[in-house]
Amino acid sequence: MIVASGLTRQFGTRTAVDDVTFDVRRGEIVALLGPNGAGKTTTLRMLAGLIAPTRGTVTIDGVQLTRATGGKLRGRIGFLTESPGLWDRLSVRQNLRIYARIYGLADPERPIDAALDTFDLTPHADARAAELSRGMRQKVALARALLHQPAILLLDEPTSGLDPEITRGVRRLLEERRAAGASILLSTHNLDEAERLADRVAVLQGGLLALDCPAALRQRLTTGRLLVRVAGDPAAHLDAVRRIAAAAAVDGPHLVIPLERLEQQTPAIVTALVASGAEVLEVRPEIPALEEVYLRLVNEP
Amino acid sequence: MRALLAKELLDLARNRVALVPVALVTAVSIVVPLIVIVTVPAMTGRSLAEGSGLADAARLLGIATTLSDEALTQLFLFQQFLLLFLVTPITGAMSLAAHAVVGEKQARTLEPLLATPITTLELLVAKVLGALIPTLAISVGGLALYLAGIAAFGEPGVFAQMFSARTILLIVVLGPAAALVSLQAAIVISSRVNDPRTAQQFGVLIILPLTAVFVAQFTGSWWLSTSWLLVTGLGLLLAWVFLVLFSVALFERETILTRWR
Repeated sequence: MIVASGLTRQFGTRTAVDDVTFDVRRGEIVALLGPNGAGKTTTLRMLAGLIAPTRGTVTIDGVQLTRATGGKLRGRIGFLTESPGLWDRLSVRQNLRIYARIYGLADPERPIDAALDTFDLTPHADARAAELSRGMRQKVALARALLHQPAILLLDEPTSGLDPEITRGVRRLLEERRAAGASILLSTHNLDEAERLADRVAVLQGGLLALDCPAALRQRLTTGRLLVRVAGDPAAHLDAVRRIAAAAAVDGPHLVIPLERLEQQTPAIVTALVASGAEVLEVRPEIPALEEVYLRLVNEP
Repeated sequence: MRALLAKELLDLARNRVALVPVALVTAVSIVVPLIVIVTVPAMTGRSLAEGSGLADAARLLGIATTLSDEALTQLFLFQQFLLLFLVTPITGAMSLAAHAVVGEKQARTLEPLLATPITTLELLVAKVLGALIPTLAISVGGLALYLAGIAAFGEPGVFAQMFSARTILLIVVLGPAAALVSLQAAIVISSRVNDPRTAQQFGVLIILPLTAVFVAQFTGSWWLSTSWLLVTGLGLLLAWVFLVLFSVALFERETILTRWR
């Protein structure tokens, strides 16, 4: 489990991360969202013990991350950096083997073979890293981060540069690690990925703007809409609907009804329409995408 | 540390061109003395000992007084040129050491490495040894060829007299110690500058004191006796330990990760 408490980092007069407090529980994936320069990479680096916070603390599995505890705690962390950072002249297997030895794995070849297999890298095991495509390099870097089965995973844009098939494989792998109890914090610009994968999302822009599960954020920050198509003129039924949702309006053949609690209020709307004699042809809920929540958060003054 | 040292050696094995300067300096260290001491006198028909006074100088220094003047002069000169083998690992490995930290940063391989349990001490010592071991191996190979050349072309008795306590101390203690110090200094510089060229330019300055020793030997103003060699060797090893601690203290992970581009 990772706990960041009041995490602040200044570079000269610039504050990159400002008083950020959050946790990542065991068996949980938290997605770190934010525009470029929002402090995502700095936050991940502080959590990995690569740079020290100006203020605040990081605690990993109950142990505070300090200079003295850093070495030991880093052994429990799998860190995927922004750039794959492979040794170009070494082969894929050699790259992994060096890290396996650094992590002190007793029988390094077995986890290396497993990692190569997981990421479909076995045919490329003896290829030099320099010969690999960007996606392949990213896969090797991911395999490297997962090699020692870390309890904590800090991943800076894990699916960046990967094709959809491999991206899906990576997601599946992260879900497996989550099921195995790992605490996973990943930064991403891919909101769809955050929505699919993360239990909670943290929106960062210097400070922490929001931290919650995507559905809760959506409910808190946006309004869903119900689109209803009825036989005949929809305006004839507007008054019946407005008794429940005052902001309801007509848009072409549809009644457009903004609702704060879409799921709970939909039956009442349909009942009211039927009671007013409407022949309901279609009921379609429109749930705002996480993107809308995100844009609203980062663009709020 | 062994894992990282293995990486350094593997990396170099895949980039043998980086060792060409070491091989060239070694080749020059073998060929030049043989040309000066054996080939030139043979071609000109003039004895080395004739009028040079080097045999007398050697006798004054207590070097193998039983040899003939010509053999003694050869021995004196071969021993002086032996100092070139001190310079070989340093000059050759300098570019490797200078590139060590800043090169990793530029290749973006440093950050994942620093995110592992590896300590700064392990990282920096592995970098030094990674540069030292292959160049020292080439240097030792070159030395063997140098001695073989003396055995083949030197005056009788010269080869046997090369194996003195002084020679052994020079090769076994002073050479590696001087290389360790200079390469560690290069590593310090490499972790403080953000351009390998700058690191290498600073590193070259380390050659200056060695050149001074070389000149002092030839002019006779300072003779590296066995006791001097022992003291210097131990001093250099202490200096290396100090430099290792100094380089660990100076290694700023944050600055390297956040400010270097």
